[in-house]
Amino acid sequence: MLSKILDFASLESSSKHRQLPSPPGFSKSLATSKGPAKSSTTSTAAYDKLKERRAWDMAIAPAKSLPMQAFMLYMSGGGVQIFSMGIVAMLLWTPFKNIAGINEAFVQFAPSKAQPKSLTTLPLQKIVYVLCNMLTLAVGLWKCRSMGLLPTGTGDWLAFETRGLAPELSLF
Amino acid sequence: MRLVSLLIVASWLGTTLGIQESDAGIIDWHKLLVGVPLVDSTSAAPIFHRVGGKNTKSVILTATKQNVLAALNPVDGSVAWRHVFEPEDTVVTFEKQDTTVASLSGPGGATLRSFDILSGLLLLEKRLHPPETSLPLEPGHTGSSIVFTADSDIIALTNGHMVQFITKSGNIRWTWTLEDQSSLVIYTHVIATSTAIYAVGLAKSYSSYILHVAALSPESGQLLSTAHVASSVTNPSTDLALLTSNTVSRLAWLEQGALKSVALSASLKEKPTTIKGATYRRLLDVGLSKHGYMVAIMSDGAGRVFRLEEDGSALNNIWEFEGSAYNSRHSESLYAGGFDKIGYPYIGRLYWSHAFKFASAELLAPHLASGKGLVTGFSFPFDTYNHGVITHITMDAANPSPFTVLGRFFLTTTTGTVQLWQQDKLQWTREESLASVRVAEFVELPEHIVTSSHDRDEQFSERVRRHISDAQNFPRYLLNFVRRFATGSYASASSSVAAKDGSLSRDAFGFRQIILVATDFGKLFALDSSNGNVLWSRILGLGWAAEVGGKHLPVKIFVTRTVSDGESPQAVLVTQRRANNGLLDTTLFHFDALTGLDARSNAEKSKVLEGTDIPEAMVDAFMLHKDDTRVIIVLDELLQAHLYPDTDESKKFLLENGSSLHFPLQMNVPDGRQVVGHHLAEVPSLSGYLLARPTWTLSLAHGETIQSLVPAARGPVASIGKVLGNRTTLYKYLNPRTFVVLTDAVASELPGCGLYVVDAAKGTIIYQVSLPANVGKCDIRATLTENWLIYHYYDEDFSGVGQAKGYRMVTVELYEGSRADDKTQSSELCAYSKDNSAIRVFEQSYVFPHGISAIGTTTTKFGISSKDAIVATTNNKVQSFSRRLLNPRRPSQKPSSEEAEEQLVQYDPVLPDDPRRVLSHTYEVAKIRRIITSPALLESTCLVFVYGLDMFLSRVAPSKTFDVLDENFNKAQLVFTVLGLAAAIGITKPIVRNKKLREKWYQ
Repeated sequence: MLSKILDFASLESSSKHRQLPSPPGFSKSLATSKGPAKSSTTSTAAYDKLKERRAWDMAIAPAKSLPMQAFMLYMSGGGVQIFSMGIVAMLLWTPFKNIAGINEAFVQFAPSKAQPKSLTTLPLQKIVYVLCNMLTLAVGLWKCRSMGLLPTGTGDWLAFETRGLAPELSLF
Repeated sequence: MRLVSLLIVASWLGTTLGIQESDAGIIDWHKLLVGVPLVDSTSAAPIFHRVGGKNTKSVILTATKQNVLAALNPVDGSVAWRHVFEPEDTVVTFEKQDTTVASLSGPGGATLRSFDILSGLLLLEKRLHPPETSLPLEPGHTGSSIVFTADSDIIALTNGHMVQFITKSGNIRWTWTLEDQSSLVIYTHVIATSTAIYAVGLAKSYSSYILHVAALSPESGQLLSTAHVASSVTNPSTDLALLTSNTVSRLAWLEQGALKSVALSASLKEKPTTIKGATYRRLLDVGLSKHGYMVAIMSDGAGRVFRLEEDGSALNNIWEFEGSAYNSRHSESLYAGGFDKIGYPYIGRLYWSHAFKFASAELLAPHLASGKGLVTGFSFPFDTYNHGVITHITMDAANPSPFTVLGRFFLTTTTGTVQLWQQDKLQWTREESLASVRVAEFVELPEHIVTSSHDRDEQFSERVRRHISDAQNFPRYLLNFVRRFATGSYASASSSVAAKDGSLSRDAFGFRQIILVATDFGKLFALDSSNGNVLWSRILGLGWAAEVGGKHLPVKIFVTRTVSDGESPQAVLVTQRRANNGLLDTTLFHFDALTGLDARSNAEKSKVLEGTDIPEAMVDAFMLHKDDTRVIIVLDELLQAHLYPDTDESKKFLLENGSSLHFPLQMNVPDGRQVVGHHLAEVPSLSGYLLARPTWTLSLAHGETIQSLVPAARGPVASIGKVLGNRTTLYKYLNPRTFVVLTDAVASELPGCGLYVVDAAKGTIIYQVSLPANVGKCDIRATLTENWLIYHYYDEDFSGVGQAKGYRMVTVELYEGSRADDKTQSSELCAYSKDNSAIRVFEQSYVFPHGISAIGTTTTKFGISSKDAIVATTNNKVQSFSRRLLNPRRPSQKPSSEEAEEQLVQYDPVLPDDPRRVLSHTYEVAKIRRIITSPALLESTCLVFVYGLDMFLSRVAPSKTFDVLDENFNKAQLVFTVLGLAAAIGITKPIVRNKKLREKWYQ
């Protein structure tokens, strides 16, 4: 049986082009040498800034997707069906999932000096992220209410009400 | 909540409404009854009639106490036909000839009807005089009589003084009325001969009556002559006989024990003659007077047969029944006349032998033995301990060879049983007292016991041995299980539940129950609810009153022990005993519901069911049922509470609970009947009884009296509120002490009827309404269950266009507070709380298609299924009406989305008369007086039993049978699908495993 794994490295080593000189202007030393210390710190700060911006994007992402979700809710109608139930379940479930995974979600945006998995890194973004998720949850709950799935009326608790015996009895 | 309601809607839409044709006769049964025959007057008592022709056919005709004219088929005892008369149109007499039977009914015999004798088709119906002009004659059949002429025209005597000639086609040819009505002559008999029609009457003189005869011309009805016969008759109903033989007629009567007679002729000039030699007590018309025969009972009780000679010259004693004089060895004899196929008359005599405990019959055939008369006899084992005493006989005979005479006797007994005996063989029995049921109650049956019990303290080795011996049944069980699983032969909700082996145990769904019924004729029956057959019956013993005679009137029946208490069920019947000496007292019969045996611990074995006596007349009886203890409280006229069982425990139990017990009683006060609430005093009186003390009186308007009290139907309440579309709740008003009072104020200044819903503890009127009377009488039917009241009345008021008279059905629902979500916890509220009157009432009125005679609601085991209204209509049907249509919150406009969510349909003034909802389908269920319902073990299904003249039982599932698989559920398909999937898994599993393994190798 033929091996399906292709080893290009072996090809490379035996290539005759290996001995060819580098193209003009190509400096091997520039590519490998470390830059001056100052330029290195400025680039880290810029990188952190970029990460922070990206973190803000991440924090308001749930709010951005709301219009789309609202449109989907509108299209799915008020009845209790498989589609509307799926969307509502998603709306109710994702916020909790997101909040539970909040630290992992922001790991990649953590500033270089901070503990990437700590709750205290990027606090503002995380608060906004939680709030935005709450917004999604609220939309989900509003949909549940409009579909009559929230136990808000007395009728929903009727089955748990009990009554005792009357003090007087009628024999008739 | 919403999901559940969606499911319910789906079930409503998914199935059809009515019962299926294939269910008829399987889930329901119908007992066609005619009532207990009238035996007091000869003219309405049972009689055989044979319709001639090549294949002769006979029927037994009778009028009954239930106001029915009926024809029974003597071959199998089935009802050939019956005609049910209206209550105010009492049947008084009937007469038959050839293929026609004619009846007079109403006061004074105001209405004449004639029927085809084999089919019961109404041939003619004619009002002979206005019923309001009728004379008050006692007994009711006096002054009414029918005879047929030779041409089958009818001559009817009505109202005691009017004779009319009605032709076959129903035209009145002539009418003759006694002109001098002040002469106080009341005609009682009429006979027709070819020369004249004689009306025989009585004129009152000092302590007796004088006979009076009028002869009329058959052609024109002119009075030919009229004459008083020199006579003195004291008791016209037993001392008078009118005999006809061919063309001659003779009037016979008893005057101070002497038998006198006079020939009748158009001129009425004949002189009375006396037959000397014996004194007589009474004359019996045995149905052979048109053949010239009668029976005279002598003063010593012996029966003599008299025959009118063909020339009309004399009345001769042709026979005296041997040994028919009174003696202690046998009962008084009963006599009857009958015919054979050819038309020869026979006279039968029947008596009960006290010594030998069987009935003996003798048959006299006067024409046999060359005219000297031939007597044959036989005895038969009549079961007197089950059927009572024979009160009436009628017979017919067959004469297959010159010296053989065979007789058929039709017996009517004191307990309302009718039987046909052919010689000594019982042909059939009908329990006609079931047409006059007073009280009825359902009793659940115990489960079928499969395993035999074993010793409690058996050794281990014994136990192992027992298990091994039991294990030999295992293969059979397994086979059965597989077969049952595969073929789907489970119990089905729409199959017959009658036991095949006759054992007394319930079916899988509890459809088979016992119905205990007590009748006016002192007999208690247990009916099988699966087919209506009588499981057992007991005569109610009269106790001390057996000496003087008497009657039990069943008042209430209580189930004192049910199957859930672990042992065989028991019941107590409370009766009012009316002895013939005028004494009234109370008897309680405590019996086992499965066997009918006396359940009292000290019971002696006796042939009839004996009871415990309470030597006072009762006012009412109740059962206190609390924490598995049941005590029956009987209140006597002094309002003393008698307990049953009368033990110290029950006394203690009552003392503990006495202060909280309340009950309304109907009391007679000078103004009429009033309802007075009572409670039990906390300390016994000097005589040792707890006394009932009045606590409140329902104050009614002047002239308004109580018509009846309707108790609320109590059952489990599944939900204490009604959830609306916007998910607020209307809390049901569930006061457990409510009952309905129906009043009658027809005679007062503001004529009308009233309906009140009253609290039994405080007398608070919770709901009240004034209703119009139906032609001067109150005819309201109402039923109350949970917070739902429905009532039905006839509205004869109408004013202008757009209004119409007609039947109305009103549905009322009571809720707590004044708006949604208000709650007062009414079901546990004290009667004296002010919250008790905070009620919101919803009501709606509907035009109802029929008059009704009874109304009830379905009951289910847990009260979850919706409740349907069951009504018995006056057009002899039992019909159910959906709770959905009787919802008083039906919107008057198109339902909004919230209302639509509640399944509310738009209000429509007319309740649809849906023939698919007629439970009785093709059966004619006549004169229903009461509907009782009982839950089955299935929550969805309810047993409905109705009784009146007929009895009918069916099963109803108001919310469809949601808890049983559908009849046409494809079980095989399910089994095959499951098996197919299992096979597919079995096949694909190794394939998938191989594939996965290979993937791992070559990844």
